[in-house]
Amino acid sequence: MGAALQNLDYFAFVILFCIGLHTLVARPNLLKKLLGLNIMETAVFAFIVTSGMVDRGAAPIVDGGATGPFASPLPQALILTGIVVAVSISALALALIIEIYRQCGTIEADELKGAG
Amino acid sequence: MEVIDSRIVLAPAISLACALLIFISGRRAAWRSTLALGAAALKFAVILSLLPGSLQGTVYAYRLFDFPPGIGIAFRADALGMFFALVSSTLWVLTTVYAIGYMKDRPQKLRFFGFFSLCISTTVGIAFAENLLTLLLCYEALTVCTYPLLVHDETPEALRAGRKYLVYTLAGGALILFGVVMVQHLAGTLSLSQPGILPADAPPPMLLAVFWALVAGFGVKAAIMPLHGWLPSAMVAPTPVSALLHAVAVVKAGVFGLLRVVYNVFGVELLAVLGYAAWLAALAAFTIVAGSLMAMAQDNLKRRLAYSTVSQLSYIVLAAALLTPLAALAAIAHIANQAFAKITMFFVAGAVEQATGRRQVHELAGMGRVMPWTMGAFTVASLSFIGVPLFAGFVTKWYLSLGALQAEAWWFVLLMILSALLNAAYWLPIVYLAWFRAPRGLPARVGETGWLLLAPTLAAAAYVVLLGVTTRVPGMPFSLAEAAVNFVSGTRGGG
Amino acid sequence: MSAWLPLAAFVPLVAGALTSALARRRPRLAQGWALAAAAWTLLAATVLTRRLFLEGPFSYAMGGWAAPWGIELRFDAWSAASLFIALIMLAVLVYSGPYARDEIESRRLPWYYSLLLLNLGGMVGFACAGDLFNLFVFMELVSVSSYALVAVGGGRIAALAAFKYLLAGAVSSALVLFCIGVLHALTGSLNMADVALRLAEIDSRGPVVLALAGLSAGFMLKAALFPLHLWLPDAHAAAPCPVSAVLSALVVKIGIIGLLRTHAVFAGVEGLPMAAFGQVLAWLGALAIVAGALFALFQDDIKLMLAYSTVSNIGYIVLGLGLANHAAMTGAGIHVLNHAIIKATLFLAAGAIIHQTGSRTLRELRGVGRMMPWSALAVSIGALSIAGLPPTAGFLGKWYIALGAFAAGQPGFAAVLLLGALLIFAYYIRILNAFYFRAPIDDNMRSVREAPLPMLLPILFLAALCILGGLFGRWPVALVAPAVERLAGGG
Repeated sequence: MGAALQNLDYFAFVILFCIGLHTLVARPNLLKKLLGLNIMETAVFAFIVTSGMVDRGAAPIVDGGATGPFASPLPQALILTGIVVAVSISALALALIIEIYRQCGTIEADELKGAG
Repeated sequence: MEVIDSRIVLAPAISLACALLIFISGRRAAWRSTLALGAAALKFAVILSLLPGSLQGTVYAYRLFDFPPGIGIAFRADALGMFFALVSSTLWVLTTVYAIGYMKDRPQKLRFFGFFSLCISTTVGIAFAENLLTLLLCYEALTVCTYPLLVHDETPEALRAGRKYLVYTLAGGALILFGVVMVQHLAGTLSLSQPGILPADAPPPMLLAVFWALVAGFGVKAAIMPLHGWLPSAMVAPTPVSALLHAVAVVKAGVFGLLRVVYNVFGVELLAVLGYAAWLAALAAFTIVAGSLMAMAQDNLKRRLAYSTVSQLSYIVLAAALLTPLAALAAIAHIANQAFAKITMFFVAGAVEQATGRRQVHELAGMGRVMPWTMGAFTVASLSFIGVPLFAGFVTKWYLSLGALQAEAWWFVLLMILSALLNAAYWLPIVYLAWFRAPRGLPARVGETGWLLLAPTLAAAAYVVLLGVTTRVPGMPFSLAEAAVNFVSGTRGGG
Repeated sequence: MSAWLPLAAFVPLVAGALTSALARRRPRLAQGWALAAAAWTLLAATVLTRRLFLEGPFSYAMGGWAAPWGIELRFDAWSAASLFIALIMLAVLVYSGPYARDEIESRRLPWYYSLLLLNLGGMVGFACAGDLFNLFVFMELVSVSSYALVAVGGGRIAALAAFKYLLAGAVSSALVLFCIGVLHALTGSLNMADVALRLAEIDSRGPVVLALAGLSAGFMLKAALFPLHLWLPDAHAAAPCPVSAVLSALVVKIGIIGLLRTHAVFAGVEGLPMAAFGQVLAWLGALAIVAGALFALFQDDIKLMLAYSTVSNIGYIVLGLGLANHAAMTGAGIHVLNHAIIKATLFLAAGAIIHQTGSRTLRELRGVGRMMPWSALAVSIGALSIAGLPPTAGFLGKWYIALGAFAAGQPGFAAVLLLGALLIFAYYIRILNAFYFRAPIDDNMRSVREAPLPMLLPILFLAALCILGGLFGRWPVALVAPAVERLAGGG
């Protein structure tokens, strides 16, 4: 039980990941699929940042006047890059959605199945 | 004694170069015919030049490429390979002359002669293959190169026959590959230079699998029943192609592959211990009889010839399966005997069709009076298949019977007699019809065949007689067969 | 001198970023610029591979910060794939000249070349990455540029296919990132060699297995391993033909290399169900071989046929990886390289035919063998290669994998392999039959002419490689051997 409580945040993020995955797969609207993807990615980022958290740790900045345990900067760098990647994927996806709408007049997957 | 000699690579290379030249610049008929005929003659000369050494016992070798490790493309001309190569190249010259005449008024000659040359190149490659990989490579190349010839006329029927051919032969090729991989796994080598490379202590299920995979794989082209289905359908091809497929290249390649499997992959000793050869002999015996029966039922001349081929090829398979030296002699000799006789018949069929448009047996009445030389050649070939002494077919039957007795399987002698009777049953009526009945409904201008088609026919028929008569003459093909038997059965000598 | 390694990856990236700015005034300049960058990358890859042969694997620490704290780029045997990557990309860029001019709007042209360069840089970087972070970043570069490349030709089908590809790819990327996070949480490091060492000391197996499973699943999705292949056929078929070549030949291999790297990281850890995992891979591979081949057999559209053929060939490679013995992994490694060359040949040659005739279905392409002899010849050579006829390039990989199947005591897989080869041959025969032996359905075929020279040259060059790669097969084997030693010896 103790282990579960300690890792509560991790479980939460895994559940969030699954919610995002479910949204992506189950929702027919392309925009909602994209939102599901973003939820998934956010869950992953949160998970990673949390993994670098140190109890009562300070922000990992050398000159901020703080001493003592710092939160690990490595995961923060990792997810910053990940966020950039997610942003570019979302931008591309939105552009594609606009193009699909322009070409097919709809962004519902079930209606598109006939068209594509 | 092994000697490195580039002539064994030169031989297939000549036809390869000829094919390329034809594809590039073969639009003009005279140039193309010269090229094809010149290459055929040159190749024949090159292979012939290797003959004296082979009779002495020299083996020629040449390594080309080495994939890692230890497997590669290499060539080796032992007596068996020399025999096959010599038969092929001789018949090639004849068929080329015939084809030039036959195809004179037909379209797409460039494609025809180009792939024609490629086929002989791969056939000689098969004959001279040093290891299973080279053999397989040339074998599959042969399949690919014969396809365009088969579907030459591009009619729906031809395309259907072509598709059937590919399905059969490619499936066979896959089986062979499967067997080859297993051989590599079991033996660590693919070389065909030993009297057997498979270890006797390999697990029996694997040996069984290897045997049947290779037999079935090669058996497709060797037209062992029930894998023979492609052959009668393939009769839709132009006659030089049928002659090529049924006397020279494709079917003989299949049988040759089987010989290599029996003699060089398994080896006579291992097979004798394992006892699989008995099954092969049974299959062959069945094919001999069933093929003859089906031949009797055919009225289309070429289809009758096709089923006769199916039957005759199994003579070779049966002889190999008997595992004795005399039988081996028969097997190897029959490669030549059957080839020359069958090609004679196909040449005749094509000549008759060319001159009169007739393809059915019952329409052949009186042909002997109209084209005596042509039908004379046919008669010679018929007598050979029936097994009349002084003709080539008799030699095979004689040694096969002796070999069967050597293997203490006297019932195969009865099989020989039965087969002779069956052959008589479907050849003699044609002979009778041709000579002793009056021709019906022939236009007046039909006469003897033109010399372009006649000369190869007569040459082949003459060869049939030659093979039958000269078995005791040194330097003639039969002594090469004897030399081959020495190689395949190790130290045991030939008859 | 040692800066060749980072430059090999970063030059095409920077060049790609600059392309659109440079080509603003003159879109035509984009191709020349891209060609220069790709040629440079090929040169760099050659230098690096040569060094690999002479000295063995080597690394480069970015900014002078040593591993495991700094970012390390590492060039080992699998990184030598960058040579093939650069070569094929160069061929594609040369080919793109006439093709892109006709098929892609001129204002998108600079983006096309830019995306291809980013793709190239990403792939080379991925092959050379020494830590998980960089692996992820380069993988994303490749993926995002691929999504965009599918859609760059315009049209509704391409947009839809690109979106589907995007969703599948982003899911797999998220999964991979997640597992990288798990690995970092477990070991505190991101350097792959370091992580491998530290993983061995960890007690709890649960998270480790989770990370292994997640990474594998992510890379399997990227590699389009059956049944995670659903995104591939539409994407590869809808993309412009040079892009299809890049996708099928190269991008899909990112997943494979990812799987290999994953295996290397987890190889030293005890108590992991590696054998079972290998079996799963082998079965999935076998299924992919047959399923891909069957699907391909029933297609009428040439590009769909080739796409399903990719699914089938990925199956071969994964089967080899799953069998995990020396012979099988050698075969898998060789096939990664050979399939790249063969598939590139096929897509480029088919693309030339589609470009000249305007048709994609076999029915409409009947008789094209006579009008476009060189392109059809290249397709024939590619077909024979991919069916595995010796001595073409496709034969050796299958030969070794089959040997590996026997060595592992599982001859059934060898039978599947050959069944697959037969099926593959069957549908390529359909193609060749249609090209050469059927009459054209209408008169339009008569006005078709052979493809222009900038398209023909890369096609014929790659076709020649198909044959040469087979004849001189011992060199790819020698290339792959040291990497296989390490992997097969341990696993």
